[in-house]
Amino acid sequence: MTSRGHRVDIESVSQRFADYVAVSDVSLSIGDGEFVALLGPSGCGKSTLLRIIAGFIHQTQGRVLFDGEAVDHLQASQRGVGIVFQNYALFPHMTVRQNVAYGLQARKWARDAIAPRVEAMLARVHMSAFGERYPRQLSGGQQQRVALARCLATEPKVLLLDEPFAALDKNLRFDMQIEVKRLQRDYGITTVMVTHDQEEALSMADRVAVMSRGRLEQVAPPMDIYDHPASLFVNQFVGSTNLIEGELLASDSWGSKVRLGDGTIMSAASAKGLANGVRVVVVLRPEHVALVDESSGEARAGRIKSVLPLGAQVAYDIETSDGASIKAIAARGVQLRRPGEPVHLTSISSANCHVFAAVHSS
Amino acid sequence: MRKPEPQVDWEARSVTIVLGVMTATAVVVLIAPSVVILLTSFTDSASLRFPPPGFSLRWYRALFDADQMQAAAWNSLLVALWSTLLSAVLGVAAAVAVSRSRSWTARALDGLFMSPLLLPALAFGFAALIFVYRMGMRPNLLFLIFGHVIVCVPFVIRTTLAALSQLDASLEDASISLGATPAMHFRRVTLPLISRGVGAGAFLAFMASFDNVPVSLFLADERTEVLPIHLWQQIETNLDVRTAAASGVIIVVTMALMALAERFAGLSKQMR
Repeated sequence: MTSRGHRVDIESVSQRFADYVAVSDVSLSIGDGEFVALLGPSGCGKSTLLRIIAGFIHQTQGRVLFDGEAVDHLQASQRGVGIVFQNYALFPHMTVRQNVAYGLQARKWARDAIAPRVEAMLARVHMSAFGERYPRQLSGGQQQRVALARCLATEPKVLLLDEPFAALDKNLRFDMQIEVKRLQRDYGITTVMVTHDQEEALSMADRVAVMSRGRLEQVAPPMDIYDHPASLFVNQFVGSTNLIEGELLASDSWGSKVRLGDGTIMSAASAKGLANGVRVVVVLRPEHVALVDESSGEARAGRIKSVLPLGAQVAYDIETSDGASIKAIAARGVQLRRPGEPVHLTSISSANCHVFAAVHSS
Repeated sequence: MRKPEPQVDWEARSVTIVLGVMTATAVVVLIAPSVVILLTSFTDSASLRFPPPGFSLRWYRALFDADQMQAAAWNSLLVALWSTLLSAVLGVAAAVAVSRSRSWTARALDGLFMSPLLLPALAFGFAALIFVYRMGMRPNLLFLIFGHVIVCVPFVIRTTLAALSQLDASLEDASISLGATPAMHFRRVTLPLISRGVGAGAFLAFMASFDNVPVSLFLADERTEVLPIHLWQQIETNLDVRTAAASGVIIVVTMALMALAERFAGLSKQMR
C-alpha cells in the first residue's frame, strides 16, 4: 500500500456572494490520506467550500494550501483535484473507456501509456467488462464506478466527493460506500466528501466537520461528534434527539442538575460555561432513554403513544404527564410494550444528557 | 333511482370538431399550393393552366437547356452554402457566449442577433444597399453573402442555445477538473453534444438563404442573379412553364433534405 496522500490546509477562508456570506472564516487542516466529511444542511456552505478547494470558485478571503503550498493562483484544471459529482457527470457521447481516457489525454499522457492505464483503472473498479458501453447503458452504481476510475486515473492529489451517494437507492448505496471506502484506503488519497446524510458522514469519514450557516460547528472523529456534540446544532443535526426544556440548578465539572417543567430534577452532563438559573435544553438521544416500570426519584411518568418496530430495535413515542413527547429506542429483546401502557422514563446515564443554553425564540 | 343515461358531452365534442376543422384547413392551405405547382409542372401544354390538360415530362427536359436558370441555381447554391457555413460558425460562437453570460449586455446582444427574424427583411435589404453605396462600393457577391448571413444566423443561434441549455453544467466542471483546457472541453465535449442542434439550425439557415428574395433583391449585382429572383422575373415576363418544373425540383429536393435532417439530426425535436 503506497501512500499518495497530500496535506490540505484551509486557512480562514471566507466566501461572499454579493451581500450573502456563504462561507465564514473556515479553517481546517486535513492530514495526508485522511477522509473528512463536510456535513450540514443544504445552504450551510459545504458545497461552496468544496468548490473553493476544487478551484471553481476563488474565495473572497483566506488561503487553500496543498502540502503547505498555496494553490489559490492555480486554475481548477491545474490543481490536480479529482471530483466525483452527485450525477457522476460522465460524458454521455463517450464510451466508458473514452471517459476514463479523457483526463489522461488532457494531461498529455503518451498515447501507448493511456490504454493500459485505462484497463488497469477499469479493473480496479470491476468495470473491465463494460469498456465499450455508453453511460446511459449503465446502472447508477456502475456509472459511479466509472466516475471514480476516470477521476483516480490522473492520480489527483485530493479526491472530492460531492453528495456521491445521493442518487443511489439504499441497498446499492451501502455497497458503494464500502467500495469507495476501500478504494480510498487502498490509494491512501486525501478525500473530502460533502454530504447532508449524517449516517454516510459518520460511517465513512475519519473526521466529520459539521457546518452550519457558513461556519464550522465542530470537527471531530465520528464517535466524538455523536457522543460529545459541541453545540446544540450538532447534537440535533447528527442523530435523533429529544429536547427537554428546564432550568439549570447546579453544575460542576462532574455533572449538573436541571429542573424540568413538571418539577422533576434531572441529572445531566456538566453544563460548562452556563450560569445557574438560566433556561437550558437537555438533549437526550432516544437510545439513551430508559423505560422503567417503577417510579423512582428521577423518573418521569408517561404513557406509550405508539410503537414502531424497526427490525432489530423498537421505537416508542411516549407522552409525558406534562404533555411533552419523548422518543425512545430499545432493543427488541427487552420487554415489548403496548400503546397506552404507562411507563416511567429516565436516562441510562446522566453523561449522555447534554445541556445547552436554550435558544431564545423571539 | 333512475339509471344514469350516458351523457353526450357536447362542449368537448364541439371543441374537437372546431379544432379538427381548423387543423384540416391549415394543412390544406399549407400543402395545396405545393400540390398545384407540382401537378402543373407535369403539364404537356405550353401554358401554366390548372388543372393541366395532359401530363408529360417535357418541361423537366427543358430545364437541362435552361442555361440562365441553371446559372441562377448555382449562384443560389453557392450563396446558401457560404451563408450557412458562416452562420454556423458565427451563430455557435454567439450562442456559446450568450449562454455563458447572465449580464445585461449578453441579453441585449441576443435580442439584437434575433432582430432580423422580426424586422422586415425588405427594410434591412434596402438599408444594407444604402450602406454599401455610402461606403463607396457597389453590391457584389461578398455583400450578398454577408446580407444572407445576417438573416440566417438567428436560426443557428436559436437551435444552438436550445441545445446548450440541455447540457449538464457539471460536465464542464468534470472536464476542467480532469485537466482539460477550455478549447479541449469545447471540441471534445460541448461541440459533439450540441452538434444536432447546430445541424438543425444550419439546415434552417440554408433553406432561409436559398429562397431569400428581399435581401438578394437589393444586394445581388447584375452578374449574380439568384434563383428565386430569376424565377420571379420569368413568371412576370413570359409565364415560363419551366419555372413550375424548377419549383417541382426545389420542392422534391427540400422534402428529401428535410427527411434526411429528421433522420440524422431529429430536426423537429431540435426546434421545440
